[in-house]
Amino acid sequence: MLDERTILLVLPILVLQLALMIFAIVDLIRNPNPNGPKWMWAAIIVLLNLIGPILYFVIGRRNY
Amino acid sequence: MKQFSALLLKEWRENLRNYKIFWIPIVFILLGITEPLSNYYLPQILDATGGLPEGAVIELPDPEPEQLMVAVMGQFQLIGMLVLVLAYMGSIAGERRNGTATLLYVRPLSYVSYFLSKWLMASAVALLSVWAGFLAGYYYTAVLFSAVPFGEFLAFAATYSVWIVLVVTLVLFASASMPNGGLAAGLTLAALLILQLIHSLFGSQWDWSPFRLPNYAASFLDIGPDAVALAWTLALSLVCLLILATMGIWFAKRNRAKTKV
Repeated sequence: MLDERTILLVLPILVLQLALMIFAIVDLIRNPNPNGPKWMWAAIIVLLNLIGPILYFVIGRRNY
Repeated sequence: MKQFSALLLKEWRENLRNYKIFWIPIVFILLGITEPLSNYYLPQILDATGGLPEGAVIELPDPEPEQLMVAVMGQFQLIGMLVLVLAYMGSIAGERRNGTATLLYVRPLSYVSYFLSKWLMASAVALLSVWAGFLAGYYYTAVLFSAVPFGEFLAFAATYSVWIVLVVTLVLFASASMPNGGLAAGLTLAALLILQLIHSLFGSQWDWSPFRLPNYAASFLDIGPDAVALAWTLALSLVCLLILATMGIWFAKRNRAKTKV
């Protein structure tokens, strides 16, 4: 099932999700005062695909 | 004008440094790709998750490319809009709380420039996201199934753009009028949900409403909307946009007293 075509089709999704995760992690490292413990946000960002980084940017960044 | 460009530069830097200009478009592109891709792999997904008797043959008709684009729009209407509302709920209310407003409001500030700089930047990010997402969906649909005529696609995305700019204006108005970002998001989502509900209950004859914009966008992929109704809808949307922006500027000015120092 994992033929070359499938990999090529799914690859952009993986790359974009990885980019989203990296943006969120970099921002978390540079954030002096996140809304909750840093290790918790790191776990959420890495473990929850797509939803994790969004949750961090919306709730964890304290920009409201 | 000089003040406006200075404020716009501030907004640009802010959106760059909190990564909004990167992560919001990425979310929309992912939404745009997932819809055609999961439709393409639907037989395999059904196969892998089981629940079907041995030897069962699934015959799924290929979805129409137009249906897929409308489904992408449906994702934007749910998740995309939620992301935009939550991302920009604090753009004015949050500044009053985190101290940025103290630095700004002690200067002779034009609230028109202040509001419009935020509006322009938020709209630009929203439009970038929506177009990137639609183009990604268009590309995947074209590769996996067949292409929607590009002219129809442009009209579809352009009509939806008007709607998304209107939503951004509503968020900024709410952010200017509410004491904090959470309430601003609540007001925006409640207004959108309640008005949409009223619309679906009583609005079968309301052809000129801004809430028809997504429907008209979708019908560009089909037979095309009624030109007169579309023109009136666009005019009415512009009026709504101007009213919301004016009220937003007025509230931004009135609520400056609520700034935490």
